[in-house]
Amino acid sequence: MKNTARPYMSSFLLLVGALLLSVAVGSVFIPPITLFRLFINGVAPAARPLAEDTATLSTILFSLRLPRTALVAMTGAALAGSGTAYQGLFRNPLADPYLIGVASGAGLGAVLAMSANWPYTSLGMLGVPLAAFLGAVLTVAAVYQLARVRRTIPTTNLILAGVAVSSFATAITSFLMINSTGEMRRALVWLLGGSTMTGWQPVVALLPYITLGLGTLVTMGHALNVLQFGDEQAQQLGLPVQRVRVTIILAASLTTAAAVSFSGVIGFVGLIVPHLVRLVWSSDYRHMLPLSMISGAGLLLIADVLARVVMAPQELPVGIITALAGAPFFLWVLRRAKQQHFW
Amino acid sequence: MLEIKNLCVGYGERLVLHGLNLELPAGQILGVIGPNGAGKSTLIRTLSGILAPQSGQMHFMGHNLPQLTPTQRARLIAVVPQANQLPPAFTAWETVLMGRTAHLNWLGQTSAHDEEIVRQAMQRTDTLELADRRVGELSGGEQQRLLLARALAQAAPLLLMDEPTAHLDLQYQYNLLQQVRDLVDRERLAVMIVLHDLNLVSRYTDRVALLVKGELRALGSPKEVLTADLLSQAYHTPLQVLSLEKSGLPYILPPVG
Amino acid sequence: MKRLTFYFVLLTTLSLLLAACSPAAPAAAPTPTTVPTAALLTFTDGLKRTVTLPAPAARIISLAPSNTEILFAIGAAAQVIGRDDFSDYPAEAKDLPDIGGSNGKYDLEKIASLKPDLVIASELNTADQVKALEDLKITVYYLSNPPDLEGMFANLITVGELSGHKAQAATLVDTLRQRVKAVQDKVSGVANRPTIFYELDATDPSKPYTAGPTTFIDQLIQISGGVNIAGSLSTAWPQISLEEILVKNPDMILLGDAAYGNSPAQVKQRAGWTGLKAVKDNNIQVFDDNLVSRPGPRLVDGLEILAKLIHPEVFK
Repeated sequence: MKNTARPYMSSFLLLVGALLLSVAVGSVFIPPITLFRLFINGVAPAARPLAEDTATLSTILFSLRLPRTALVAMTGAALAGSGTAYQGLFRNPLADPYLIGVASGAGLGAVLAMSANWPYTSLGMLGVPLAAFLGAVLTVAAVYQLARVRRTIPTTNLILAGVAVSSFATAITSFLMINSTGEMRRALVWLLGGSTMTGWQPVVALLPYITLGLGTLVTMGHALNVLQFGDEQAQQLGLPVQRVRVTIILAASLTTAAAVSFSGVIGFVGLIVPHLVRLVWSSDYRHMLPLSMISGAGLLLIADVLARVVMAPQELPVGIITALAGAPFFLWVLRRAKQQHFW
Repeated sequence: MLEIKNLCVGYGERLVLHGLNLELPAGQILGVIGPNGAGKSTLIRTLSGILAPQSGQMHFMGHNLPQLTPTQRARLIAVVPQANQLPPAFTAWETVLMGRTAHLNWLGQTSAHDEEIVRQAMQRTDTLELADRRVGELSGGEQQRLLLARALAQAAPLLLMDEPTAHLDLQYQYNLLQQVRDLVDRERLAVMIVLHDLNLVSRYTDRVALLVKGELRALGSPKEVLTADLLSQAYHTPLQVLSLEKSGLPYILPPVG
Repeated sequence: MKRLTFYFVLLTTLSLLLAACSPAAPAAAPTPTTVPTAALLTFTDGLKRTVTLPAPAARIISLAPSNTEILFAIGAAAQVIGRDDFSDYPAEAKDLPDIGGSNGKYDLEKIASLKPDLVIASELNTADQVKALEDLKITVYYLSNPPDLEGMFANLITVGELSGHKAQAATLVDTLRQRVKAVQDKVSGVANRPTIFYELDATDPSKPYTAGPTTFIDQLIQISGGVNIAGSLSTAWPQISLEEILVKNPDMILLGDAAYGNSPAQVKQRAGWTGLKAVKDNNIQVFDDNLVSRPGPRLVDGLEILAKLIHPEVFK
């Protein structure tokens, strides 16, 4: 990568633009000047209380838009970062964060939890996300154990075990859904992606996981570069391959599981953003990781805005937007890549 | 000094190497030959830590090899594999820089010292002018030289080479081996090289180890090991060995008539 | 491995605690801005939340078509300022602002900007959505689905109290009760009880969806003097196999999915259905499923229509 600063500036600009868009656009468009005033007022409340209309805008901004923006940005960063790490780890351009079972496990956990009656309390509210999270983590643990051969985890085994366990979990989920038509709709909505919880709770719950997970992944850039030469050569070059692999799987799975537990299964972001970054900027994982996280946040924010706006007042699940935009884009990437031998 | 005593390597019940004994001092090129399945690649992979031995010992410069971490081992042993499927997107410079991995911290931060070593490694292998080109665009010979440069960048005293001349044009074969020869003479590296072409072995190695079915059939100078008897027995085919005029080195050919 | 598990549990607990104690925890009830007076209205809703209103609600948003129908039926139409996507009855409701609801997602910002003093939710809504509205400082009443007609009447009274139309609601309930009794009286004398198959969805004609026990369809068919052939199945919304239908051989087929393009003519063409008695007798009737799927006053309309279809000889 020739000019190191430019990609970071560009992606950061994208993110900032997307953040502003996400906060300004909705049922009520809040122009930048009003946004500014509301922020000032939120941080340092004026002596006189706000006018009626502005008070409503303030509530909308601070209770709805801001937390949603934060949640979507974190989710986008988490999915894109994990996707990049997996593509590097598995040396496979089709790898996405759901490769070893996170999505199917989370779906199963969520659907199981939806059939229970949770008390209307703070902790009760977290029932479904927590179940989704545990489902995801347990599934990855199962896949890991199945793929293990003594002390190593060959990549092929991981992928195969991931596919098998995912199919199994999805089958159980489908069975549960069919047997409780009441919850079917709710489960479907969840599975299509998009946050159901509003407010700051999800943001606060996610923060430790996303920070820890993405923070760990960002430091794995050099290791991922070395891994591109294959496990044997990487080990011969001095990389502790098994340790690195476990660390990356752990960090990426944790991050993805956390993101999915609140936002459902949003597809394509984890698959497409790494390719975008690779095409436009760099194949060096030390840069791909942070750039993917920033770009992923920005792009998912844009998709979320579209999901709100395209068929207002109806809101589409954001997973539909990412799939609609993602599929044709992916084909275009494929065409360009074949010409340039990226893999 | 590399010392291998009674090395047994295998997969479960099936042993590939049976009680191998070998020594390799610094400043020497040891050629390893033998028919397919003899265990040559297995030996390289065991020394470099990919396979674990079932019994026996491996010591290098006083270190007990199986007890080393990958990083520690890579500082002592560098491997030059065959050049296939290198990641095409990296530049030649970045690829050679990977050789410094064992000396870098976990974030992979490089210093001016590392870059100087890389530059020298590429200079010695005539690859410096390729530095900014993507590996995917380079020829097989250039890629192989890059792998040698990468191994040199590792600055390890023992070099293991597994058929590095396969798929190379003749000029590159000779070129590569001559560079290895020069390096060993100049810097007293120890080199173990697996080669298929017996005549290259004759020309470029100091000692030869003949492996057949996991056992060491012969160990000695090229003249001593590359004889018609030993070779035709090992390779199950009649052949003739001529002695070149000026150097006296053996030259192997199929039988006449 | 043990250390890993320990850290994992620690992280999860920390995360949960942070989330549970975060600023926007659901309040038991949003307190009114003035000092509480004796005129405060207090309710306990379907989620066991305490809901208080300073006065009957004047700006109501309905999140379900059943709630909309109830509000209009008890005379609170003028107080309804917004409704969900699916509210289409009565026709005037369609003119009200639409605040979302399909895909299970509501336009919270629009709801907030309409400044309601009460939002009536239903079992179509999740606890998350109720909390989201609470976070916006909006009063929400969660109206649970009634288990039977009496439960529906109780809901009517509750909505009447919420909106200040209790008297009207009570009058409506009396009228509805009389109509139900009238149906019960008329069919009490009839000896035969025709067997009914109620079709909800026949996308797969070999396993159509039907209404089982505890559903309103089942209850109303019984009150109308009929027998629901799916009434002995184990779940409320099961798929019944064509074989089972053939064995039970119902006297009448009711097409609750008529709105989705099913017609008696289409049923007659289905493979394997031609042997059914109801098909041979041409006793396939269309039915407006909205009448029995929305737990509101139109349930009684539905009852009367069902009774006429099942015992035409008694209802002239």
